[in-house]
Amino acid sequence: MDFSFTEEQMMFKEQIIRFAGKEIVPRVQEHDLKGEFDFESFRKLGEFGILGLHFPENLGGSEADVVTTVMAGEALGEAGVDGGLTLAYGAHTFLCADTIFAHGTDGQREKYIPKLASGEWIGCMGLTEPGAGSDVASMTTRAEKRGDCWVLNGTKMFITNGPLADVALVYAKTKKELKHAGISAFIVEKEAPGFYAGNNLIKMGVRTSHTSELIFEECTIPKENLVGQEGAGFLMAMQTVEWDRSALLSPFIGGMTYVLNKCIRYAKERYQFGRPIAQFQAIKHKLADIKIFIEAARTLCYRIAWCKDQGRPLNHLEAAIAKLFVGDWGLGPANDAVVLHGGYGYCHEYDVERNFRDSRLAPIGGGTSEIAKKIISRLM
Amino acid sequence: MNFDFDKTEIALREKIKESLGPDSKADLANLENGSIMEVRETTLHCLKNLGQAGYIALGLSDGKNAVSLTATQENLAAISPSLFLSVEVSARVFGRLVAFYGTPDQQEKILLPLKKGLVIGAVALSEGGMNIENDPLDTAGVSNDDGFRVSGSKGHVVNGPIADWIAVAGKVGDEIAFFLINKDSEGMSIGQRLTTLGYNGVAVSAVTLENCNIPLTHIIGPFKGEKQLKTVRRWEDQTLTVASLGQIKRSFDTALDYAKNHRSGGKPIIAYQEVSFKLAEMLTLLQTAQLLAYRAAWMEETGDREAAVLAHCAKVFCTESAEKVASYALQIMGGQGYISGNPAEEGYREAKYLQIAGTSSEISRMKIADKVLGIEALG
Repeated sequence: MDFSFTEEQMMFKEQIIRFAGKEIVPRVQEHDLKGEFDFESFRKLGEFGILGLHFPENLGGSEADVVTTVMAGEALGEAGVDGGLTLAYGAHTFLCADTIFAHGTDGQREKYIPKLASGEWIGCMGLTEPGAGSDVASMTTRAEKRGDCWVLNGTKMFITNGPLADVALVYAKTKKELKHAGISAFIVEKEAPGFYAGNNLIKMGVRTSHTSELIFEECTIPKENLVGQEGAGFLMAMQTVEWDRSALLSPFIGGMTYVLNKCIRYAKERYQFGRPIAQFQAIKHKLADIKIFIEAARTLCYRIAWCKDQGRPLNHLEAAIAKLFVGDWGLGPANDAVVLHGGYGYCHEYDVERNFRDSRLAPIGGGTSEIAKKIISRLM
Repeated sequence: MNFDFDKTEIALREKIKESLGPDSKADLANLENGSIMEVRETTLHCLKNLGQAGYIALGLSDGKNAVSLTATQENLAAISPSLFLSVEVSARVFGRLVAFYGTPDQQEKILLPLKKGLVIGAVALSEGGMNIENDPLDTAGVSNDDGFRVSGSKGHVVNGPIADWIAVAGKVGDEIAFFLINKDSEGMSIGQRLTTLGYNGVAVSAVTLENCNIPLTHIIGPFKGEKQLKTVRRWEDQTLTVASLGQIKRSFDTALDYAKNHRSGGKPIIAYQEVSFKLAEMLTLLQTAQLLAYRAAWMEETGDREAAVLAHCAKVFCTESAEKVASYALQIMGGQGYISGNPAEEGYREAKYLQIAGTSSEISRMKIADKVLGIEALG
């Protein structure tokens, strides 16, 4: 076994932390407070090459390996980028763009990937519905072939980037009598007739990402917008899980490192009873617990990434374990960080409050902790 | 980066499994119920088998292959927690002390037979409690014509009643030394075997030294500062961390087996989410603990600057997970688990030792915090 990163990877991580600290983090609080997406930051992520990191160079990417890509997410979190922007990046790059890249035709790749990699277009992915969350196969959005077109009807729910997206990768039933095997994937562009995005939902955390319903009313798209084979949609959605369990998790882990650093600074500067609170064992206990979580979680996350780099099919057991651990075991440390800051921790200015709200998504989004436990218990 | 074990690592693990032999079950029962003589004979029998398989010598010549050593140890720890503790204290704590700090003469006379599993070693560190962090050692050696005269008392010495050699930590003036004391030395008395909550197969006792004369050739050190003492403590912590991995695996396997076979309401209880979701958490803790322990071992081997803090993180996480997993296992097994003599019940009792011994959870957390705060003093 070998847990080392290459020197290039370490240098790249430092570069991202510096870049994000300078170009993105100064605007995070303002946007989180207003619940506004930061277009400038998103564009800068594109310019820096993060949005298309793992795509081939001819499609606007840098051909980075998965470990490096996951590390980029960790670096963003570590720099202090909020969970909203990293989620928007994750949904855009991995759930939307990567699905088109992995399963699309050459024509689809050439049309969409470069513009998504640069950030000129924003992407989203529509899988969840108001009545179909963990139980994906119960979706009711339908796609019907009419002549040279597909016609979509139905509603998607909790769609990250939904109100902003230029390109939506949408899953719909093409054979409603079939369960998983009846699901297919489509590309829907913003201007497609009959396609509407709902209002931005007001959320507890990850507030700089915009989330909405996607509504399809006789939404008509060209027949070549089918992605991959008809009926292969569920498998495609499941393949994005590899990213869900690595690149979308790593910002949470990096974010906890950011929070730990905040706690360290505060504990040293805050004096009570005539000494810095860093000298109290109750405070040190919390610092230790945050550190233990970070170290335990990151190895799980990089294992998924490394296995993907080896070209192995996803180990669903290991993926679910990573998801469950980062999600559920991260809540305690996120809470500790707030408590350590006392009254200030409850205020927006100190970032740990935002991290506390953002962290609450980890056990919910991309498959709940309960679904993770279901997968683990089925496979053990 | 590489998350796989290579072929040699896997082959070694298989060999160790075999070396415990088919008669080991009876042996293991003997550890708990036998007289001190029988415990000693049984331990030596197992040590000899493990010695022949090359297990005892692992990690005694250099710090290489730390990850595969950890994974190999984990297997033994899952087969018999008590035997594991006894073997590791002899091989990896006492053995390393002689291997890394001892003289060539000590290595020839003590280490060679130890590697073959012919003698048992023990290390006596703590005095009043189980920890040695805040108070200086009272045990001391006074130099005389042909060596040292050592006096002091040690509280809990694993292998104390069965050891051939006990390395006793003590002071020589302001410096720290380890006195290598043979079991038959005059002036050393071994206390009664202590009755403990768990690890009932391990022989533990107090050790008292009263004007015990040892020759000059039987001292390791003296050393300025506490570096060597801390290193011994780190080896002890590593042993307890791996012991936890074995415990977690043992509790989980037992509970999983029970959940698949025990039926309630017409179906195996694993079909109920209240049971299967607990198992899912247990397996999550097992894999997370494993990876954290492997990475800590790897960092130690590669001399990473975060190695010390990672070792403490692993100790806290793995030992506390052992209790949690054992607790869940007992819950799943219901009344069956509550009856003495099953791995979940044993694991539940034994997990507490793992958190108390070596560097306790409390002191480990303070050390982790000192490190992240940039306070180096406590190391």
